[in-house]
Amino acid sequence: MANHDSYDAIIAGAGHNGLTAACYLARAGLRVLVVEKNDWIGGAAVSRSLEPGWTYSNCSYVCSLLRREIVRDLDLPRFGLQVIPYEGGATFTPDGDYFAYYSDHDALRREIARHEPRDVDAYDRFSRTVIRQCRFIRPFLLRNAPDPTSLKVRDLQELLFLLRRANGLGARELAETMRFWTMSIGDFLDAHFESPLIKAHLAGSGIIGTGLGVYSPGTAYVLLHHYMGDVDGAIGAWGFARGGMGAITRALGDCLTEAGGVIRTGAGVERFIVDDGRVKGVALDNGDIFFAPVVASNMDVKRTFLRHTARDQLPEDFLRGVERFKIRGSSAKLNIALDGMPEFPAAPEGAPFLRGDLHCSTSLEELERAYDDWKEGQWSRNPYFDMLIPSQIDPTMAPQGKHMMTVFVQYAPYDLEKDGIRSGQHWDDAARQALADCVFDKIEQACPDIRFGWSMPRCARRWTSNARSG
Amino acid sequence: MERFDALVIGAGHNGLAAAAALGARGKSVCVLEKSGVVGGMAAEGRLAHLVYNLSEGEKRRLGVNLAEVDTVSLSPDGAHAVVRRGAAGFADGRAYPDAAAYGALHARLVRFAGVLAHLAEAPPLGLDGGLASFASLREIARLGKVGLGLKRLGKVEMREFLRVILSNAYDTILDELPDGPLAGALASDAVRGAWAGPRSPGTVFSLIYRLGHGGAVYRPEGGMGALAEAYAAAARGKGCEIRLNAPVARVLVEEDRACGVELADGARIAAQAVLSSAGPLQTMLLAGVAHFDIEATRRARNMRAKGSAAKLNFALSGRPVFTGLSEAQHHARLLVAPSAAAVERAFNPAKYGELPKSPVLEMVLDGTRFSVIASHVPTEPQGGWTRAARDQLEKVVVQAIEAHAPGFAGLVTGCEVLTPADIADLTGAPGGHWHHAEMGLDQVLTLRPIAGNARYALAVQGLYLCGASAHPGGDVTGLPGRNSAAQLLADGVL
Repeated sequence: MANHDSYDAIIAGAGHNGLTAACYLARAGLRVLVVEKNDWIGGAAVSRSLEPGWTYSNCSYVCSLLRREIVRDLDLPRFGLQVIPYEGGATFTPDGDYFAYYSDHDALRREIARHEPRDVDAYDRFSRTVIRQCRFIRPFLLRNAPDPTSLKVRDLQELLFLLRRANGLGARELAETMRFWTMSIGDFLDAHFESPLIKAHLAGSGIIGTGLGVYSPGTAYVLLHHYMGDVDGAIGAWGFARGGMGAITRALGDCLTEAGGVIRTGAGVERFIVDDGRVKGVALDNGDIFFAPVVASNMDVKRTFLRHTARDQLPEDFLRGVERFKIRGSSAKLNIALDGMPEFPAAPEGAPFLRGDLHCSTSLEELERAYDDWKEGQWSRNPYFDMLIPSQIDPTMAPQGKHMMTVFVQYAPYDLEKDGIRSGQHWDDAARQALADCVFDKIEQACPDIRFGWSMPRCARRWTSNARSG
Repeated sequence: MERFDALVIGAGHNGLAAAAALGARGKSVCVLEKSGVVGGMAAEGRLAHLVYNLSEGEKRRLGVNLAEVDTVSLSPDGAHAVVRRGAAGFADGRAYPDAAAYGALHARLVRFAGVLAHLAEAPPLGLDGGLASFASLREIARLGKVGLGLKRLGKVEMREFLRVILSNAYDTILDELPDGPLAGALASDAVRGAWAGPRSPGTVFSLIYRLGHGGAVYRPEGGMGALAEAYAAAARGKGCEIRLNAPVARVLVEEDRACGVELADGARIAAQAVLSSAGPLQTMLLAGVAHFDIEATRRARNMRAKGSAAKLNFALSGRPVFTGLSEAQHHARLLVAPSAAAVERAFNPAKYGELPKSPVLEMVLDGTRFSVIASHVPTEPQGGWTRAARDQLEKVVVQAIEAHAPGFAGLVTGCEVLTPADIADLTGAPGGHWHHAEMGLDQVLTLRPIAGNARYALAVQGLYLCGASAHPGGDVTGLPGRNSAAQLLADGVL
């Protein structure tokens, strides 16, 4: 006998955003149901043990942007969420040197001076601008965007809030803001720095997770987006969720359950029930039907409206807009189980930056070329990657003495081009292996013994090509 | 010492337009040109060989006969597309399957261009004194007009406008059309002269800019030289003096006021105002950087102006014959831009200082002269624009033309290659850039050419920018010059 319960609200998809929405609604006293097609919750913030002893955060892998207001509102630490900040990072060069990024300002100035004395003051100028811009934008993240085509009071109020904030900046800062929102990260860095290596190190934040190159306008704002977070109030800091990124969604799930919400896993939405222009509930793959006057979809806009909603219930121009919405996967992920801590010969013994994000891209040109490959439907022959070994800080991620390495790789297309045809089907084992080899070749720039550090013979490399950016 | 009310550095079309506007108000003006010809980039044989984006008013003022021409976008399979404004067909007269979609897209972009046209006709919104200051009320009124124009589009179109205006040309075009010569033509128009490929965000804005005033393409009767002469005649008609071969060595500044110029031969001319067709950095250098604050010079130094277009002027021993084109179609604007993807690909090597392998071409045939704009080329290739690099560029371009006009190579009796470096030398345009400064979203309107100097005036009183680096930007429109003169008068300098 299929279920036919009704709720006050239904959320389709138990990713971190769906769960957050559900938590707020449940804590407001509503009866909430979350339905999730997988047998586990978490969406892209999920940690699973794919090899005994090793925990992988499959997709997202570091945390900073989770708003502290949400952490506080939902009291997530009580449900086991603990974010451990990591320090700095580094970019390794083929000639055996590195540029290290320290959170200690004096150490960073010394390191910059080692590469390019002129960039020391430039860095202060750069970070001043970035922090000012972050301060300007942060308040907007917790508000709704105004619809400039509407004359509703709420939209006008939001527009007025924006204008007043902008006016408060003063002419100079306002000009800087407008430029920041429209420039490419490459041009922005070129205007500040001399050293190609320092530019390459800083540019990563401008392209990560996007289908844009370092010289594509708009990427300066992407950098800002990644500087806007915090760990325990330390602005711009990044950290690991203890136990993997799944800890975040586990905490959200527990919070929801405590507030009386219901989570059903293994319960994929077949369709949203719409009647006469109003949503009535969801019909699940397993035949269950649940009713609610409000349904929120944690799925992307294409899936939501093109696959799971009856076309005849939606206006034609809206559907056209949805069809044209661009979602272009640009990243791949390698999760590597290591027999021990790999050697980084360039780095001093016990260097703190090894606990941060590690890279091997040494110029903006190299990053732009990586993007050109992707435009043609190929993975980058000389890719950018963001590589971390979280088990140095969070020992729960790997067995004693072993390590786990996460490598976010950009760019890799969702639809791989082969013989003039682009298709996701082309990601066969050979293609995956070739991509992995290409990444390993480049990791060797930083740690030459990486190939010996795999946990063999159970080769536990797993990878994910993001179907969606983000 | 000789004395004028105003001196204009550079007799390009914008310098001449500024001079004419001041002359019309009874001011005595002298235009100083370093080369021996007027017109700057629009002079015969320089970069420009066609005219777009020219307002009806400007056409009347100049009194030049402009012949509207078709655009032929050549296809490798011989199915060439012929376009005039929003109408598309095949070269052999067959109906183009995507003609309706193309027409709708073109009409929409032209409509959007119409909304923005108000902004080009006057100095951009200033930021001094904040958004709500009393001084900017008039500008807010002008913005209100744009807002009203948007409102008149209706809600659906207005949303569409807001969606595409910051977007990239590639997606916007391919959302409506399959990729091919028609999409390629639009994509190439979006980025010709720009340091951007059609996939770069912001290229819809540059496409809309080019489609100003209906999106027509004109050939001036008598060539570009006639148009340049018309600008000069208009200035002379208002009593302005034009001196050729009179390079300016520096702008004279006293107590932070511009008070004249010194020519390369040491002669000095006094004036109350100096207008410069050069870019902001070049102008600051002429006046002496000591007169500007560090932030302003830093911004000027970092202004983006990388030329990406080269001009090849071929002299031919006979008429080239393009496969699949009628006699009349040979006189259209001919494009080699087989697809939007190909246009994007053509930008790739330029980014790394490499010469193009399959350049995008815009070609105009005039008797046995054949004028070709090739893009994208590097501003300065690795190793510089050596003889070998120029020869290589010529070879690649001839090959690309030969593919559509067999026997073309045998007709070539001479070829003048103008690289971005040459164009910079000849005209003073920063980086040899078509628009003097990249028309990126970070360098248009209030941010053009650099933040803090959008309203033509530099920090030295009486020193103004009047070239294409200033708002609204490049193309032969005369607007930067005219707006600059209007601002100078509004500021009470003269």
